[in-house]
Amino acid sequence: MSLPSAEVAADFKDALQDLKINSRPEISNLTIIAKENTEHAQAISRELENHIRTTRPEWKLPALYVLDSIVKNVGTPYTVYLGRNLYRTFMDAYTLMDPGTRKAMEGLLKTWKQPVPESMESRPVFPPEVTRDIENALIKFRTIAVQQQALSQKPSMQHSLPARPVAGVPWRSTPTPPQNARFTAPNDPRVRQPYPSTAPYPSTATPLNHFQPPPSQPPPISSIDLEGLKADLTKIITSTKTAFALNPSDVTIQQKLKALLDLETILRTQTLPPQQLEAVRAQIQNLSPPPVPMPAYSPVTAAHALVHSPQQQALPSFPPSNPTFNLAQILASVKSPVPPSSTPVAPPVAPPAAPTPSLADILRNVSSPAQQSATPTTATPFYPPPFSTAPPVPTPTTTPAIPPPPPNLAQLLAQFTQPSATSPAQSTLSNPQPVPQLPPQPAATTSTLGGTDWVLNALKGLPIPSIGGTPVNAQATSLASEPMIRQVSATTNAQNDVELSTASMKKPRLHLISKLYEALPNICATCGRRFENTLQGKEKKARHMDWHFKVKDPDAAKRGVHRSWYISEKEWIEYREVDETSPEQITKGPTGAAITAKKETKDKYVPVPTDAALLHAPCPICQEKFEPQWLVEANDFVWMDAVKVNGKIYHATCWEEYTRGSNLVAPSTPDSVLGKRKAESANYGGSKMKVR
Amino acid sequence: MISLPGLNLSAPSIEPPSLIAPTVTRTQDLSAGTEFRFEVPFSRTLTIKLLSGTAEYFGTELAPSSTYSFSGAKGAIYTWHGAKLEIGGEAESEYVAEETGMMGYANAHFALENLRDKAAQTNDTGPRVLVVGPENSGKTSVVKILTSYAVKAGRQPVVINLDPRQGMLSVPGSFSAAAVSSIIDIEDGWGSSPISGPSPIPVKMPLVYHYGLKDPEESRFFRPLVTRMALAVTSRMEEDQASKLAGFIIDSPGAISGGKGGVYENVEHIVSEFSVNIVFVLGSERLYSDLSRKYSNRPADEAVHIIRLDKSGGCVDRDEMYMKALRQTQIRAYFFGHAGENALGPHSQVADFNDLNILRIKEASDSNPSFRPGDNDDDDAYGSSTEIYEKLTPSSLMQNSLLAVTTAAANERQEVIRDSSVTGYIYIADVDETKRKVRFLAPQPGQTPSTAMVTGSFPEDVPGLVS
Repeated sequence: MSLPSAEVAADFKDALQDLKINSRPEISNLTIIAKENTEHAQAISRELENHIRTTRPEWKLPALYVLDSIVKNVGTPYTVYLGRNLYRTFMDAYTLMDPGTRKAMEGLLKTWKQPVPESMESRPVFPPEVTRDIENALIKFRTIAVQQQALSQKPSMQHSLPARPVAGVPWRSTPTPPQNARFTAPNDPRVRQPYPSTAPYPSTATPLNHFQPPPSQPPPISSIDLEGLKADLTKIITSTKTAFALNPSDVTIQQKLKALLDLETILRTQTLPPQQLEAVRAQIQNLSPPPVPMPAYSPVTAAHALVHSPQQQALPSFPPSNPTFNLAQILASVKSPVPPSSTPVAPPVAPPAAPTPSLADILRNVSSPAQQSATPTTATPFYPPPFSTAPPVPTPTTTPAIPPPPPNLAQLLAQFTQPSATSPAQSTLSNPQPVPQLPPQPAATTSTLGGTDWVLNALKGLPIPSIGGTPVNAQATSLASEPMIRQVSATTNAQNDVELSTASMKKPRLHLISKLYEALPNICATCGRRFENTLQGKEKKARHMDWHFKVKDPDAAKRGVHRSWYISEKEWIEYREVDETSPEQITKGPTGAAITAKKETKDKYVPVPTDAALLHAPCPICQEKFEPQWLVEANDFVWMDAVKVNGKIYHATCWEEYTRGSNLVAPSTPDSVLGKRKAESANYGGSKMKVR
Repeated sequence: MISLPGLNLSAPSIEPPSLIAPTVTRTQDLSAGTEFRFEVPFSRTLTIKLLSGTAEYFGTELAPSSTYSFSGAKGAIYTWHGAKLEIGGEAESEYVAEETGMMGYANAHFALENLRDKAAQTNDTGPRVLVVGPENSGKTSVVKILTSYAVKAGRQPVVINLDPRQGMLSVPGSFSAAAVSSIIDIEDGWGSSPISGPSPIPVKMPLVYHYGLKDPEESRFFRPLVTRMALAVTSRMEEDQASKLAGFIIDSPGAISGGKGGVYENVEHIVSEFSVNIVFVLGSERLYSDLSRKYSNRPADEAVHIIRLDKSGGCVDRDEMYMKALRQTQIRAYFFGHAGENALGPHSQVADFNDLNILRIKEASDSNPSFRPGDNDDDDAYGSSTEIYEKLTPSSLMQNSLLAVTTAAANERQEVIRDSSVTGYIYIADVDETKRKVRFLAPQPGQTPSTAMVTGSFPEDVPGLVS
């Protein structure tokens, strides 16, 4: 069986190697070979993948067309075999391509999300989970490309590719939206990005046409309302994602998206008391733009629609060589004020200034730093890119100035929920009070609140039950007591006053329960295991989900599973539990430990900060800039060899040398009390990542 | 090894399968701090799905929108925050209880967490906990809750079961210990010991000893095994940092909480062998008072804290019928796993009489000291210089019984055999006395084990495991 398979594969390979241009006869010839040898589909698929991976960049596209032709004309089993590695095949090639070819590849990807034209089959060419991962990667790819371009201050963008939105991606139905690294290829190519591939246009208005009218005057929230609330939130998330895809460099949108996703997690995993739901609802309404698409936005919407349409040749109408033209239009349109009457729901938070309820404005009101990238107030063309106006790089000695945080939405939220807590009757009111305290121009100040913080702070601002063991009636949880306070540090025991006595066991301490729930807000939908909402928690959850995926083996039953013998006493004493959330490589023995210690420093990392000031700050010790890279474990872009100390980011190795030299005890970055966790975090030695 | 064709290895259910298909579902709202208690007989299945809010089953959180099915279970779904459940099927009894002992159990957990944090600072051993109480006072439930919460907090406690009446990660009649680092299976007791394929819930690796008797009164077996297990667990904890900091939790048989005239020899033995420093007493006021008095004047560094926890109102008496069915289910699950996707395939083998080295535990009544004299040189620490096992030639009487396969060689001293851990169990399906052949069921294929095999009066025979 294997011999003919190898022969067919070899023939196929030979034919492939002759394919150097986009030649229809050659491609259809290859397709026919594939069609006639479906029994060798696996070998052929492998050959094709190998070829795409190894051949010269300029020959990759024709090979990808072969892949495309095969999956569309032959279908299964090729879709199955090729689908498995599609992410890698695609992304590996994409990385090496020039922008023009990339556009072609994006066109291919788009057709893969749809059914084969003129076919009876209504399913897309590749399953959505395959294409979605690629989509997500492309979004990230563009983000980092633009950031990188901004950092290097090279206004060399020659091609502007319209970023495609990801509207319609069923985000909520993904088991684990952001952490799902299931298809992430081990060596992720997304960071190798010599050319910026996309143009960030400030089309924050585009997603408007996706919005539904926000619910009007809400009654007190019941669980049915909760569903509606979630649905609204999902809509906003979808559209924010779209906005993000269109404008990946926009830190504000990025932060907002993150915040929204966090909020969604909270809503999904936790039961919020009514006031908080009210607050969240008000917040969501604020974020929901008016339902009517405004005609002023039509230029962008049109461009946007073009991207959706199959005729890609229509794109020249958005000429990359002359971006200012369109930009001016867009800017004009964005700036044009919208008559307040067009909003059916009076915004609960009414800014004293002329209300322009565009997403960007609302966002600006929310809290965010780095507005300059988001607000299209200056009529500058694309270049210099958004970050060129970044704040000056702080010197090592200055601590980042922390201005008194401007009254942001989080605080407002807290403000108008506060009274409702003292007089519960008010909690039924949806918009208790107008809030005139909203500053007209929060954009001018730099807020210290990061993306997610506003949500958390908003929630924290709510009344807190007397901490320290005042008896709290168990029945009162829904109103007075506050299970939502996220324990800032789950390991501190300031409030854990349980003593080893029978009497102490009887005292109700509902505030401690949050350590079991709210301190671990990230729940696995499959088994109920909870994770911290930290970087490590996310990594753990990603690995945990990988594990779930791995054990879901449909063939297992066929192979005949049986119980194993128990291990002996000695083996048991030496056995160590394997936690599916820990990195796979476990170094053992003293030598391993020494190596890990060394690696520990080098492999410390922080996620690429969203704060523009931090983003541009070099290491205060060596004055070298940080290089972002994609880290599979974190499923995020990170700065390797970096530690964050007192709000500043240093090279981990620099910092170590510095602290060792001065014999200084590092300001306590709270270390986990568990040796186990420490060991885990030390284990990025085996981390698979690509240096850009 | 021979696989017999025609041997029906598919697991027939003990009782007729559920007659009422759980198609009709209903919703049940739980307000915060209440629990939904239910009893489902083995013949029916109750399905529970968490629609909103949070809920936990003996400390293990229900995943949102996963459907859990319960059969032969007496359990409770508790919620701290309020929950909405979707319930399918019919239970024997079900109600919502507003008064639960959960706050006390949670406090117990946080008290232990304090000690674990302290242990982490001083690199000491974490809390060493023993849970005692009469039968049906909820000991195992409390052990599960404490374990689940500890796991949730990222700990890896060692759990030790010394109750032969129901097994933990093994069959009844065994004692076992396991370090728990992953969530506890909601549907299936504690979860599963390792199997050859993937498991939807991470498997737990138990260390198993065979006790083979129903009650722990006999000092010939119970205390030596406790001593042995304490040694193994202490050794593990010395080397396994994660378990050391988390400490251990011991589940005990109800029988030792009865005591004799206010003296609880077995409890004291466990406390001293395992260096227990916290004893949770469930329910019994008298036991609490007696133990408090006993351990009141210990030096501070060896203090044993006796803490009474309320017995949950949800504890129901489990009659012998139920317990027997539960044991049979556990034994069945050992060989066959659970029906459906997670079914296991045991192997049927045939062995010659001479291949098997079977020893039977001599019951106390069986006082025949000179049955096989000879190889018993030293006195046992517990004064049982007489033989504790007798050699057994397979006979049809052994049919349907369970043999513990020890790690000790057949010619080892009997105390060594007694103290050795077991590698597993085999089930005698058929004995052909004329051909001197035994057909038995082993969990995994391979050679017939040549080590000593032990059988006793407990667990009782399981007729019809293999038809």
